[in-house]
Amino acid sequence: MNTPIRRLAFVLLVVLGILVLNLTYLQVVAGPRYRDDLRNPRVAAARSATERGPIVTREGVVAAESMPDPASTQDFIRAYPEGTLFAHAVGYSTLLFGDAALEKEFGRELSSGSDLTFSGIIDALVGREQGAQGIRLTLSHAVQQEAERALAGQAGAVVALEPSTGEVLAFYSSPSFDPNLLVGESAEAGDDLAADPASPLLNRVVDQILAPGSSFKVITAAAALESGLANPDTMYPDVTELELPGSTAVIRNADRGTCGDGTQVSFSLAFRRSCNTVFGQIGMDVGAGLLGATADDFGYNDPIPFELPTVPSVFPTSSLEGDPPATAQSAIGQRDVQASPLQMAMVAAAVVNDGVLMRPYLVSERFDRDLNILSQTGPVELRRAVSPGTAAVLTELMIDAVTSGTGTAAAIPAAQVGGKTGTAEIPGSAPHAWFIGFAQSETRSIAVAVVVENGGTAGTDATGGRVAAPIARTVMAAWLATAQ
Amino acid sequence: MTRNAEAALLAGAAVLAALGVSIVTAAGGDGPDANTALTFVVMALSFGSLHLAFRQWARNASPYLLPITALITAVGLVEIYRLDPGAASLQRWWLLIASALAIGVLALLARYGTDVLLRYRYLFLTAGLVAFMLPLLPSAWPLGGVEVNGSRLWLQLRAFDTTIVRFQPGEIAKVLLVVFLASYLASRQGALVSSTRRIGRITIPEPRQLFPLAAAWVVSLVVLVYQRDLGASLLLLALFAAMLYAASGRVSYPLVGAGLFVIGTVAAARLFDHVQRRFDAWLRPWDDFADSGFQIAQSLFALGSGSLTGSGLGLGRPDFIPSATTDFIFAAVAEETGLAGSVAIVAAYSLLVTVGFGVSLRARDPYRKLLAAGLTTVIAIQAILIIGGVTRLLPLTGITLPFMSYGGSSLVANMIAIAVLARVSHEVAS
Repeated sequence: MNTPIRRLAFVLLVVLGILVLNLTYLQVVAGPRYRDDLRNPRVAAARSATERGPIVTREGVVAAESMPDPASTQDFIRAYPEGTLFAHAVGYSTLLFGDAALEKEFGRELSSGSDLTFSGIIDALVGREQGAQGIRLTLSHAVQQEAERALAGQAGAVVALEPSTGEVLAFYSSPSFDPNLLVGESAEAGDDLAADPASPLLNRVVDQILAPGSSFKVITAAAALESGLANPDTMYPDVTELELPGSTAVIRNADRGTCGDGTQVSFSLAFRRSCNTVFGQIGMDVGAGLLGATADDFGYNDPIPFELPTVPSVFPTSSLEGDPPATAQSAIGQRDVQASPLQMAMVAAAVVNDGVLMRPYLVSERFDRDLNILSQTGPVELRRAVSPGTAAVLTELMIDAVTSGTGTAAAIPAAQVGGKTGTAEIPGSAPHAWFIGFAQSETRSIAVAVVVENGGTAGTDATGGRVAAPIARTVMAAWLATAQ
Repeated sequence: MTRNAEAALLAGAAVLAALGVSIVTAAGGDGPDANTALTFVVMALSFGSLHLAFRQWARNASPYLLPITALITAVGLVEIYRLDPGAASLQRWWLLIASALAIGVLALLARYGTDVLLRYRYLFLTAGLVAFMLPLLPSAWPLGGVEVNGSRLWLQLRAFDTTIVRFQPGEIAKVLLVVFLASYLASRQGALVSSTRRIGRITIPEPRQLFPLAAAWVVSLVVLVYQRDLGASLLLLALFAAMLYAASGRVSYPLVGAGLFVIGTVAAARLFDHVQRRFDAWLRPWDDFADSGFQIAQSLFALGSGSLTGSGLGLGRPDFIPSATTDFIFAAVAEETGLAGSVAIVAAYSLLVTVGFGVSLRARDPYRKLLAAGLTTVIAIQAILIIGGVTRLLPLTGITLPFMSYGGSSLVANMIAIAVLARVSHEVAS
């Protein structure tokens, strides 16, 4: 009988072994999937037991914080006291909709370190900080408020930078949403937001690229100046229609008229008046390759190094080479050129910062529960986009555009303001109204990009100068007026 | 390993249990309390007395039996305490009672020898079958059955309108049936091995031989159908198959039995809702997450949350698992001690299998061989069925995890099984 008994024992041990294999699979291989499944009640329990650190603006206004849950002694609720104001920059941390924006990217630092997970133990051994950390943003509450007020009721974005450091002073996408609606255990409000055709959840500052229109002429001008192909006094034929070689298409100015007096027009006047006929020609003169390289120098065709993921702006250099008509249209920011507001703000910032492109950043410091500063972010130079000489010329041109060109609505008394308007034609819709520019006072400076989608309330009558420039004015003025 | 080393291990198990309990209270923010001391005392008392009883009445028994049992019991006590301190104190009482009863059985067997069981084999068969069917008694009677969670497995003793005690006679019935089977099969062994009747190429035993077995098979189906206990019927089948195979060496016997059972179960699944639901929950738990799949889903969540080293005693949320102290005690331990703990438990049961079958192989007469193998198998199959069910390898059943699940009847029955096994081990080694 020993043989069958031995075999029976063997079978039992094999089955027990299979149990071990199955356990290994369930607990280690598939384990994380079960552990993180939203239906696992532990997930909700852990989230509400975690105190996250606060997120504050540069002035110390609280944009996000964990409030004790009135219903229970141990739990916390994530609250956003400023509601819609910082929704796209700060994001949200919720059970049902996950984490977004800075709440997501800095989730680890913000979360309390009181869980005894493997990584928590390693952190303690290595000396990495534990416990909830707070982060201070570069955003200015005052400027952000002005951005929200100025854009109210229209779809678009406002983003403002400090040109010499890259600090983001304003970061607003409209329409916005109240992140407090996403916190909690009911998905209804969040589902409504997601289904809203106006796309309030879309971050229009970094996640959407639109045709920049004439605001792109800053880059076209930069390419021409930098390569020596033109200077502010270079003269161009002043025509109502620019013929495009090898094509029946033509380029016209916005008012279908001439740029100057109908004979010849200077480079600087063409910039001031945003003449398409001249800049189309300049584009063909410079050529797709050089134009593309200049765009790349300003940050195009690559994701922007930033705390949040970004959609790269597009200048399709290789498809334009050998195609002058397409190049001409691209040189005026139409055809397939697409840019994000953050990218265009960086263009303006680089111009006024002596031609040096700075890395934009939202988070200036991390601090612990006792307000000790754990780390600080410093300015980082990305690269030199244009030479100081070219930058100086571009600065002058942009100041002229605001003093006496298409951007007069952006002028601020007692400050140096420069900029470039853009009215991006969209076939079948109202145009996008753009303004990119800068303002400098004795103590402060700011660069900004404003876009109002499809003209906003002005609709087909919209131009960059009429719709976007006034918004840029009040936003920049708000910064110049702050004491801090 | 010597008896003294065994004693040291048992002391270690008592310390482990006490330590576990104080870790749990510490996780709750308090210092060690009476429970720590009580756990230690009860463990020491129970296993200490068993140890002394072994020295007296099972001197040459394997010294590994008790420590393995004590380890598993310790883990069970700690986790039950973590889940429900009230249940833990009841379980401690049951441990004392189970140990006392086991010692009593051991003393009886020492006095009369295990051969006495041979003489009363049909008594054991009847007692076992009756015990299985007792819960079918009307619940109005003083000693009547009662349905719990959809299964009719419990017997309750009532007087003056209150329930004095409730137990599951099916638990002890399993042990009784093993004893019957061991002696019956041992005496018929020759006939089983040399049977020449055939259906086609498959050898089958003489029909007459099979009568008691057939009766038992019918009972298993009755249990399935009327008492709605899929687990007990699976267990009975597996037990019969295993012991038949061990006795005869012919795979055909258990295969035929298994085939018949599968036919019976499939028919039952078609005809009876509750069986179908078990299979649905097993195969597609996520389809009806909120209802039939809920239990197994919560078990999977717990297992995954435990990961490699567990959430920590007292730091996990096994309270989210339904029936955590009974059916899902293993999932609760797996959550708080991780893969490390759950594998350790399976390893402990594997060790028990090794020890028990070692006794069986060393035995010289068929009866003791089968008795040792059978007792070990019944413990092993219970562990396999419930761990398998909780990890979705098998359909979920109400089988208890020996020595770990909260439940007096199970503890009593399994302790007695260990005592009988120890006595056999002693007789084999002498």
